[in-house]
Amino acid sequence: MARILVACLCALPLAVLAALSFAGAWPFPDVVPSRWTASRWLEVLAGRGGLAASFGVSILISASVALLSTVLGFVTSKHVAYHRRRRLLLFLAYVPFALSPVILGVCLLYVAIQAGLSGSVAGVILAQTIFAYGFAIVLFQGLWSPRMRAFEELVHTLGGSTWQLYARVLVPLAKEMLLLCFFQTFLISWFQYGLTVLVGGGQVKTLTLKVYDYVGEANVFYAALASCLLIVPPALLLWANKRFLFKAV
Amino acid sequence: MFLEMRGISKSFGSEPVLADVSLAVEHHETVSVLGRSGSGKTTLLKIVAGLETADRGELRLDGRRIDAVPPQARGVVYLYQEPLLFPHLDVWENVAFGLRLRGVGGEELDRRVREMIASLELEDHARKRPHQLSGGQRQRVSFGRALIIQPALLLLDEPFGNLDAETRAGMQALFKRVAAAYRITSLFVTHDLKEAILMGDRFAYLKAGRLRLFGDRESFAADPEIGVMNEVRFWESLLGGKVPS
Repeated sequence: MARILVACLCALPLAVLAALSFAGAWPFPDVVPSRWTASRWLEVLAGRGGLAASFGVSILISASVALLSTVLGFVTSKHVAYHRRRRLLLFLAYVPFALSPVILGVCLLYVAIQAGLSGSVAGVILAQTIFAYGFAIVLFQGLWSPRMRAFEELVHTLGGSTWQLYARVLVPLAKEMLLLCFFQTFLISWFQYGLTVLVGGGQVKTLTLKVYDYVGEANVFYAALASCLLIVPPALLLWANKRFLFKAV
Repeated sequence: MFLEMRGISKSFGSEPVLADVSLAVEHHETVSVLGRSGSGKTTLLKIVAGLETADRGELRLDGRRIDAVPPQARGVVYLYQEPLLFPHLDVWENVAFGLRLRGVGGEELDRRVREMIASLELEDHARKRPHQLSGGQRQRVSFGRALIIQPALLLLDEPFGNLDAETRAGMQALFKRVAAAYRITSLFVTHDLKEAILMGDRFAYLKAGRLRLFGDRESFAADPEIGVMNEVRFWESLLGGKVPS
């Protein structure tokens, strides 16, 4: 009974959001909408309007950031873990988290301007990747151990190249952590607001920015729809994590 | 000589680990290197395997300088005290690992892996994962994984150190048999006196980074520093000078 109550309490805000996204009219003090409509959802599903485009851009940015930071972080973290100046390098990896988000954003905006990427999707991907990259390096530190080093040495003495080492041993052994890192960095990017606003310069409209825009316009029905869309990819990743990742551990 | 080490020295920071080590190993022989913990045994093997670089000295394998050759091109396999089986692969795939790295596949791979597994008496365990095996079985798989690629030289770093006495004795016998069957050239390091004598064709003693080579078992056993006579005296005093038959 208690479990059902807790489940209902957790599901209630999501149910309200879903109801709002299908509401044609919901005047106070009605408990449920007085009129229902699927037009906004059909608009998104048909790929029309700004929301569908924002959803696509958000997926592109977050998937790119997650892929880049996971791959680069995995390789870099190995070199950091075995480096004689490991502590210093790890400290540098922590810097993006220690800095104030505004200061970090301004620094990354400068990088994007210098690279000619400000106001572009590529610039947002670059800025968010720099932030998530540090996170990935720190996350993977737990993976590298004397035992892992011994595996690497063994593969080399058995005749394996560096590529074969990664493909046949390191990646399979780190599979769970790689998936976890992809999931976490995807979420970091998916809900990123400040960096996207600063580096995107208002021209890159991700779903998170859209939600804030609709809330600012008091457009509750579209804000609810955008929020529902915002929840879908993380929910799918969470399900995939539970289904494939934690089952394998 | 098949393996020749001349004047190998190595320091970690200001601490010398190996000092002017010279050693030669003939084709198809096993040289036992006895040494206590911290005597430089592992560093010596890692230099031969290419996993560490010597500060000074020369290393030749079959007449060819290998100092600058990367580990994957030396044909020298280094076996750790721990079997280090890949946990994501079963016994069959662990044994097949080196062949797959070399692009061997199909019937040849099947035949060679099947033969190796049979020679190690692991037929009933081919599809088991490493965590389903005993310590001795894991070490046998580790041997099979190394031997199947027919390495020029096998380096064994206290490979039976984690096994109980009975399993250890079985593994020693198995190694002797397999080493003879596959005509293996190997360098076997251990801190166990009895094991050093059992496993080697020739013998060396490493102490504080300095290596002494002995021509035969008798001179090795007779050297007071090695400790064989101490062992004999201990057992004689324990049994009152009478060794039961």
